[in-house]
Amino acid sequence: MTTIADSIVQTEALTKSISGKAVVNEVNIKIERGDIYGFLGPNGAGKTTTIRLLLGLTKPTSGTVRLFDRDIRNHRLDVLRKVGSLVEYPSYYGHLTAVENLEAVRRLLDVPKERIDDVLAIVRLTKDAGRQVKGYSLGMKQRLGIATALLGNPELLILDEPTNGLDPAGIQEIRELIISLPRTKGVTILISSHLLSEVEQMATRVGIIAKGSMVYQNSISHLREQAISRIRFTVNDPASAYPLLRSSGYEAEWDDRSLTIGRADNASTAEAVALLVKHHYDVYRVEEQTASLESLFLEMTGGERSL
Amino acid sequence: MIIRLMSVELLKLRRKWIWPLVALGPVGVIALQAVNYALRYDYLVHQQPGEPWDGLISAVAWLTLAALLTGIFILASMTAGIEHQLNAWKLTVALPVKKRHLYAAKFLLTALLLLTASVLLIPLTVALGLSLGFGTAIPYGQLIAAALFPYLAALPVIALQVWLSVTIHNQAVPLTVGIVGMMTANFAGSRIPDWLPYKWPQIDYAVNEPGLYVPAGIALGLVIYAAGMLDFVRKDVR
Ligand SMILES: Nc1ncnc2c1ncn2[C@@H]1O[C@H](COP(=O)(O)OP(=O)(O)O)[C@@H](O)[C@H]1O
Ligand SMILES: [Mg+2]
Repeated sequence: MTTIADSIVQTEALTKSISGKAVVNEVNIKIERGDIYGFLGPNGAGKTTTIRLLLGLTKPTSGTVRLFDRDIRNHRLDVLRKVGSLVEYPSYYGHLTAVENLEAVRRLLDVPKERIDDVLAIVRLTKDAGRQVKGYSLGMKQRLGIATALLGNPELLILDEPTNGLDPAGIQEIRELIISLPRTKGVTILISSHLLSEVEQMATRVGIIAKGSMVYQNSISHLREQAISRIRFTVNDPASAYPLLRSSGYEAEWDDRSLTIGRADNASTAEAVALLVKHHYDVYRVEEQTASLESLFLEMTGGERSL
Repeated sequence: MIIRLMSVELLKLRRKWIWPLVALGPVGVIALQAVNYALRYDYLVHQQPGEPWDGLISAVAWLTLAALLTGIFILASMTAGIEHQLNAWKLTVALPVKKRHLYAAKFLLTALLLLTASVLLIPLTVALGLSLGFGTAIPYGQLIAAALFPYLAALPVIALQVWLSVTIHNQAVPLTVGIVGMMTANFAGSRIPDWLPYKWPQIDYAVNEPGLYVPAGIALGLVIYAAGMLDFVRKDVR
């Protein structure tokens, strides 16, 4: 792998207006080789439209798309050869079996026949490969969609809400599948979701879109730092410990079981624990409140809680 | 790439019962004429001027018009419907395939299915004529002309139906256009003006020269095909 970052996806002021309304508004996306880019935003934010623009399914009203550092207007075929995608709900032919569906795509990609068995094994559909897809569950169709996206050994994998409409078990299955995808060859992944929690575990970078505009784009660790971290202490007598923390300058809250302090970095958390112990409180648990990243996300996207 | 796309198109026809449907047109036409000849044998064979083979070929061609025009809109809609039904256009368009090649493959597939149906008429007509005892002096030239010239003259209609079926998601639109066209051609008959393409496939090519109708059909068919292709390339994919 090169040390100088390879640009895999780059958009400049990408805009799509549908009946006069900018559903994608001056979006600048930057994804480099090896990134797992979480593309986040509530329903209707413009994620699918942006992905359609990246793939050339939709033409931009203005702005440009560069994939692998090439303008897709002039190099659509060359760049699409290196891209595997799953846009919105998966596309498939219901009257064909999984093998026939993959064969239809394989002939156009011109990859060896063995590749069909490979991708079926990756998504664990080998057993059902000879059945017509219309009889598949939604999760199986989604897995077939991912298998189709993987067929051409893509360098860039674009997955648009691959867990949409699945039950929790199905979501877990797809998530594990994506995490387990071979990452050794420097595959770059763009995965969209309306739930931060869904991509938080795997993303290296995130872009957040709301009402067609990008509101955040940076590394996931930067986002974590941005989140106001809150620490919760479960103690034996929160009511009396509360004034102690307040008088020591902490922004604290309490309920009948615990105390919560805000803006707590490592040092102030350690000091708070020391203070409580010194005053003979029993500290049962110290927990980071994981909701904070989610609330930051909600704040950025205009507080519209989706799902 | 077109060849690869065509092989994919043929693969996608599996379990769609399209080939039996293709055969149904010519088989139906011949079956109806078999009944017609069985009921009116004496009148049709002995009381008409000219050779019985010529009479049969013209009778088959006359019935074929409705079958051909119906076949066009049904097959165009079915081959496009394979993609529309589950929004599969985006699957293929996101692959390294030129959109105009994709359109060409859809058009070629429909044209090929209809050509198969038209060609099938030839052996079926021969079989009917032989079983009616018309003898082996079969006028192959007329037979081929009567089967293929209407098909070529109908190319503008084929191109139009493919265009509408491919670019409009709701198949009620192309089906309505197809039905209205078929009705007009059948019931207005020879009263429709020469410049209307629906007239061109209904000339009796067994007795008439292809004249301008067939070259005009091919030329206008290509023009409409090109227009449809440009429209498909320009349009966003659902
Ligand atoms: N073809 C279309 N016609 C009209 N409106 C559309 C079309 N496609 C998308 N939109 C609108 O664009 C906005 C963004 O949609 P979409 O990109 O699907 O969002 P997301 O994938 O983030 O849920 C929505 O308000 C949607 O209604
Ligand atoms: Mg979407």
